[in-house]
Amino acid sequence: MALLLKTTRFVESQIDTFLDIVSDSATTFQLAQEDYLAGRIPQFEGRLAQIREYEHRADDLRVSIERFLYERTLIPENRGDVLAILENTDEVIDNIKDSLLQFSIELPQIPHELDDLWMQTTRASVAAVEQLVFAVRSFFRDLAAVNNYIHKVYFFEREADHIGERLRRQIFAMDIELSRKSQLRFFAIHIEKISDAAQNVCDRLSIYTIKRQL
Amino acid sequence: MIFIYLLSGLFLGWSLGANDTGNIFGAAVETRMLKFKKAALIASIFITLGALLEGSGPSGTLGRLGSVDALGGAFTVALAAAITITVIVRLGIPVSTSQTIVGAIIGWNFFSGRLTDYGSLITIASSWVLAFVLSAAIAALLFYTVKPWVNRSKRHLLEQDLIIRYALIVVGAFGAYSLGANNIANVVGVFVPVSPFKDISVGNLFTITGLQQLYLMGALSIVVGIYTYSHKVMRTVGKDLFHLSPITALVALLAEALVLFLFASRGLYNLLLSLHLPTIPLVPVSSTQVIVGAVVGIGLAKGGKNIRYNILARISLAWVAAPLIAFLISYTALFIIQNVFEQKVQQETNYIFDRMVITKIDREGFSTGALSTVNGRSFKTERAIHQELQAGPPLSRNELMQIISIAEIHEMTVDVKRLLDSGLHKGFSAAEIDVLRSLQDRSYRHKWQLRDALGKYPEFKLFPAPESERQKNHNRILTGKFDILYRTFTKLK
Repeated sequence: MALLLKTTRFVESQIDTFLDIVSDSATTFQLAQEDYLAGRIPQFEGRLAQIREYEHRADDLRVSIERFLYERTLIPENRGDVLAILENTDEVIDNIKDSLLQFSIELPQIPHELDDLWMQTTRASVAAVEQLVFAVRSFFRDLAAVNNYIHKVYFFEREADHIGERLRRQIFAMDIELSRKSQLRFFAIHIEKISDAAQNVCDRLSIYTIKRQL
Repeated sequence: MIFIYLLSGLFLGWSLGANDTGNIFGAAVETRMLKFKKAALIASIFITLGALLEGSGPSGTLGRLGSVDALGGAFTVALAAAITITVIVRLGIPVSTSQTIVGAIIGWNFFSGRLTDYGSLITIASSWVLAFVLSAAIAALLFYTVKPWVNRSKRHLLEQDLIIRYALIVVGAFGAYSLGANNIANVVGVFVPVSPFKDISVGNLFTITGLQQLYLMGALSIVVGIYTYSHKVMRTVGKDLFHLSPITALVALLAEALVLFLFASRGLYNLLLSLHLPTIPLVPVSSTQVIVGAVVGIGLAKGGKNIRYNILARISLAWVAAPLIAFLISYTALFIIQNVFEQKVQQETNYIFDRMVITKIDREGFSTGALSTVNGRSFKTERAIHQELQAGPPLSRNELMQIISIAEIHEMTVDVKRLLDSGLHKGFSAAEIDVLRSLQDRSYRHKWQLRDALGKYPEFKLFPAPESERQKNHNRILTGKFDILYRTFTKLK
């Protein structure tokens, strides 16, 4: 049996590694935000470099998984769904990277009064991504649990939206230049978009889960 | 000439391969769990193995066509069945091959003036409903059992997929094996006594007997049918009727295997009897009707919304139409073959009501008063006797058939060598062969005379009034053996 499952186990480990990378990216994003707000720019740049590396590895893994699934005609019924899940989850990493890259390019000056709400929005978005990783893992191993995690993703996405809205209101209530307000709003929306991307994956995942259920 | 005759058997094999393999592997191929080429290869290997290892083995039957007593008739009947199956398979509809063959045989019965046992007609009609409902119920039950288990399974999707894939292959291979074992007799069984093939020695290693070559040819014709024409039926079973997923495909196949094993396996029936356990009644089921029933059962269990009822209606219609079409083609073709091509499609059978026959009928407990109109006379067809006896007191169909079988003249000489050479001795025990040897070269005029002569030995003793299921089964097995002996020992004219 173990011999028969050799290829399968290899692909399984690749999928697990891919999801580990997504989870690590989210955590790294949170740490990078903390570094940025604390003014530890070199450390922040290090985190960005790390996320770029994650993105490359995630892309390579995704392509490799896709090739395996098609070449060996594994899971013919769910193949399309699994690839869509992987591609959409990959976009979450892309969003994380794009956001940090934008910080690195524009180096926006964030007033300290915003720190708390800024980090709250970040934590809600990161939590959404982490719950997404649980949901995707469950899709492969424990179908009954998927909906619980999807529910959590939706919860954290809503949370990120609410806090993000408060953050943007506070930005525009501050006595700073309009151009700076506009720039800060752009970054706040960027953080919210990460949870939106996680939600998009879940929208598909919930349908694929119904499809997989007998 | 024999090779031309054999062609229709091979044509039947081809149509059988195209039709029945779809039942076994349709779901697996259409859910893309197995590629067509792989499925065809597995089916080919196991059908051939089943045909060679078991087809000529324990049952030793001649197949249904064995009841047709002249080679020209068997050729035509096989041809009619094969044409019918091909036409229906062309429409992508799976059809019961054995029922189509029975339809063609009834055509021969009509043509040759024989009376048809209505039992076989009722059997076919009941199978349409019974097999379908039974397998739909079992498939739905199996689906409800598997559903919570699959939905709560903690196995990785990829592993689950692989296990289902191997399970589909294993169940499919078993299906293919039993298909080969059960159906090869229908394809070439009737040609066994006249096999034109000589034994071939491969070096000094082994010999391929003529019989094995005949079975191999039959198996090859099935294999060609699989490769060239089975995809249409596969599509209907696996996709068109109801879109199956890999798991539901496996459930359907398991339900099919379960129904065939529990309700149609004489092996299981005999085993339960020998262990003094209660038996499950044997039900006439066809693998085609069982798989379609299973797919519909799963469809209903899933809410019934996605079943394509128009396709189901077409399939049901084809089940009724197939035996009827086969009957008509068979009857017409027999007329043409006999009158245009001047081929013998039936043995001339005579029936006589002499003193010995009347005494036997009396001893069997039938009222001889009804026989006054036929006493001392000879007849050429069963129908003529039937018409004559209608004038007298009414007889049941069963009584009539029994009286006719007693009056039938069937000249035989016991020749154990012929039995051994034909390969049909495998169902007989060594003790039974010894009994037959003790009667070597004795001649009999009626079938019942041979039966009575053998009945003096315990090995061949029938229960006169079987009561228990055990006794009935004993009689059934012995009657099957007697049929082989009647056919094998027939005097060559």
